[in-house]
Amino acid sequence: MTAAGPPHPPALVEVRDLVKDFPVRRGVVFQRDAGTVRAVDGISFDVRRGETLGLVGESGCGKSTTARLITRLLTPTAGTIAYDGRDVSALGRRELLPLRREMQLVFQDPYASLNPRMTIGAIVGEPLRIHRIGSGAQERRARVRELLDRVGLDPEHHNRYPHEFSGGQRQRVGIARAIALGPRLIVADEPVSALDVSIQAQILALLRELQADLGLTILFIAHDLAVVRHACDRVAVMREGRIVELADADVLYAAPQHPYTRALLDAVPRMPRPD
Amino acid sequence: MSEPLLDVRDLRVSFATPDGLVRAVDGVSFSVAPGRTLGIVGESGSGKSVAVGTVMGLTRGARGATIAGELRFAGHDLARAGDEELRRLRGDELAMVFQDPMSSLHPLFRVGDQLVEAVRAHRPVGRRAARIRAQDMLGLAGVPEPGRRMEAYPHELSGGLRQRVMIAMALVNEPRLLIADEPTTALDVTVQAQILELLARLRDELGMAMVLVTHDLGVVAQVADDVAVMYAGRVVETGPTLPLLCTPQHPYTWGLLRSMPRLDGPRDAWPVPIAGRPPSPIAPPSGCRFHPRCPSALAPCAAIDPVLQPAGDGTQRAACILPAAVREAERP
Repeated sequence: MTAAGPPHPPALVEVRDLVKDFPVRRGVVFQRDAGTVRAVDGISFDVRRGETLGLVGESGCGKSTTARLITRLLTPTAGTIAYDGRDVSALGRRELLPLRREMQLVFQDPYASLNPRMTIGAIVGEPLRIHRIGSGAQERRARVRELLDRVGLDPEHHNRYPHEFSGGQRQRVGIARAIALGPRLIVADEPVSALDVSIQAQILALLRELQADLGLTILFIAHDLAVVRHACDRVAVMREGRIVELADADVLYAAPQHPYTRALLDAVPRMPRPD
Repeated sequence: MSEPLLDVRDLRVSFATPDGLVRAVDGVSFSVAPGRTLGIVGESGSGKSVAVGTVMGLTRGARGATIAGELRFAGHDLARAGDEELRRLRGDELAMVFQDPMSSLHPLFRVGDQLVEAVRAHRPVGRRAARIRAQDMLGLAGVPEPGRRMEAYPHELSGGLRQRVMIAMALVNEPRLLIADEPTTALDVTVQAQILELLARLRDELGMAMVLVTHDLGVVAQVADDVAVMYAGRVVETGPTLPLLCTPQHPYTWGLLRSMPRLDGPRDAWPVPIAGRPPSPIAPPSGCRFHPRCPSALAPCAAIDPVLQPAGDGTQRAACILPAAVREAERP
């Protein structure tokens, strides 16, 4: 795949020849390196401003590693990631801090990703505190209430704990936290996979609303093509560390080119339709 | 229809908890005829896993559990059967597979040894005969190189292979009924498709009946002959798979159908969520338990507790008091 630049403004994220190796260790007590496993194997793609790009593949394909590379929770082995035209692939911890305001992750498991000892108000307000946003505790509290309301939670519940909420509500908390700093990019790593079907559609609708209202760019990671079909403008299919197909969603679902994309589509159970 | 193999009547399972009495299953009936597959569909907390777990005797002795109702299986009264009688049935005529294969496989024993033990626990055969049987079953369950895999430990296998080993273990004594609780939920979609195909093939080859518990209507569409939809501890709709999925009669069933992401239909027709969230199992809503989330609900829905009644083409039954015209106004 070549880096055909989009017509007008440069893409928000430009990924080129990205590689990530992880060391493989053997032995329980005396660990020794036993080579490396290549989780991401030279991928290139853009995330265009304001779009939702789907990144779809099965377990072990490297999609979550890609999410963590782009948000720089991991450092690439080779290749570059440019954010807003600037190479961020080798930035250190301190230099990354301003970038953290720009891009946020939403995690799959709303049960594991929220600190059970913190109230949801504290969880949503934590990024504001860390980045010293707002002139004081009172202003931050007001902003937290606004955020909770924005994601469809009752602001009066700010002093409750995660265990008092259902899975869908917890995912709303995770999303409120992610948008707290006013990011431009949301990387959503399987944001609905752990939720009941009737709740999945609520969260998809919430993400769509937030995208329209806040002008977000979204990288939507999923393990099945049905979930991202409505939400994504373009879809990339990953397998064994590589992108095997990337196309406009309308094209990819109507005329998949790669055999693996077709296999993924065929594996989704078909529903009967009333005639 | 022939005599049911499994007949569950008015099953009630509740658990005493510090927060109050949880009525996990609250008057559920279903039956499965030999060779047929029943899909039980519901979201988390609907009581589907507790219901089938109770058939297997898994909720017996659970802390604070109270069980009532009739459970008849192949001439046995499972509700009143002694522990010894249940132990003889389980793994022999009655078998179960779970979402997590490690819940049925011992991590410290080789796959082959576990299968051999499963055979010899129920059959008076020698080790050699049991090994042959075990290896054949692994092959039948689609495990490549079954001879070599007999020597493997569970952790050495991929998730899909472990699932196949667990299925082989459940089926090694050719049960008359297999209960599968979310058997493909943790798997990749391509592996899920293979496992569903495998279950359907083994069901046909061995002539067994199956109860498949899932949250996924797509899985049901693929393998089930009949469906029971559960909500808040009750069956709200039941019937043959095709009419139930094409002309759902209960507002919750079509709510579920509309909220599914699909590959057919226009791409801009987004899944439509069901408003609100599942009710508390401790203090469920009055009347119809779905009424606070139902787009068609009328005033009587909050007062009248609906029972299953013939609906649609007559093969379906739904627990909804709304006139068909009112319900259909909201149906896609």
